[in-house]
Amino acid sequence: MEIAVIADQDTAIGFKLAGVGLIYPVTSVEEARRTLERLSKRDDIGTIIITERIADGLRDIIKELYKKTSLIIVEIPDKHGPIEREVDPIRELIRTTLGVEIKFKKAKE
Amino acid sequence: MELLILRRRKILAEKGRDLLEEKRDALIMEFRDVLEKMYKIREEVNESLKEAFKELSEVKMLIGPLILEEIANNIPQALELEVKMRNIMGVRVPLLKVKERQDQEVMLYSFIDTSSKLDTTIKKFREALRAILRLAEIEGAVRRLAEEIKKTKRRVNALKYVIIPKIENTIRYIEFYLEEMEREDFFRLKRIKSLLERKSEERIEAAI
Repeated sequence: MEIAVIADQDTAIGFKLAGVGLIYPVTSVEEARRTLERLSKRDDIGTIIITERIADGLRDIIKELYKKTSLIIVEIPDKHGPIEREVDPIRELIRTTLGVEIKFKKAKE
Repeated sequence: MELLILRRRKILAEKGRDLLEEKRDALIMEFRDVLEKMYKIREEVNESLKEAFKELSEVKMLIGPLILEEIANNIPQALELEVKMRNIMGVRVPLLKVKERQDQEVMLYSFIDTSSKLDTTIKKFREALRAILRLAEIEGAVRRLAEEIKKTKRRVNALKYVIIPKIENTIRYIEFYLEEMEREDFFRLKRIKSLLERKSEERIEAAI
């Protein structure tokens, strides 16, 4: 299985240095969407790493992919750091499953 | 007959409901554990990525973006992913394992063009990547568990609020009907008895 990265230029170079094979630097959401669609059809990919900023524009297709495949899509912050989102997808998921909001304390320094 | 079958079905449904409720509670407990772990790892990922990006921008300044890109393009694929499945209470969750190729010690770029910063950058990104993959694994688990919890909840609710009340209603109806039939029979018997008695009295009167 392979790891694929869909990210902006800088993040892409970083992961390339780390030795990830499939790197797709994208500049627009449209491009990212096309790439993700193409990648989801391949069955040798286990995990796709996407930066949060790009993933936010692809929310609908990511949701669909989760329903259809066993692909793991993980979202990471880019070089500007994590973004504050109105709807954190994971938090949303927790809210709908448990019916309550859970807050965890931040890990101690 | 039907009543007996229904009673048996009710007992079965109640047993099923209890079991599913237990399963749901156990799953939720597991879910909380996993969630806590996930938040911790997320924090780690954010931290290590921040460091990695800092190193990267320093390297970029030191040796220039063009050369850096060239070097990046020359680095061969060094990581491979192995996906296995693990079982948490009947829920299959992914287990990721990273395999690194061993021939990594070979020099891939010259000393002259680059600085030692490049090495630390690569190291930092590797670390970040490892943390990210752990995050991926646990997020996958969270998603699967959430789905299973939802499914179990739906089943519990269906049993509790739809199927069991339905069976109870039917049982009540049949019982009521049986009682009604019994009463009717009773009255019919009484009526026949009185009719017969009157007839026999008439016969006796006629005889006299």
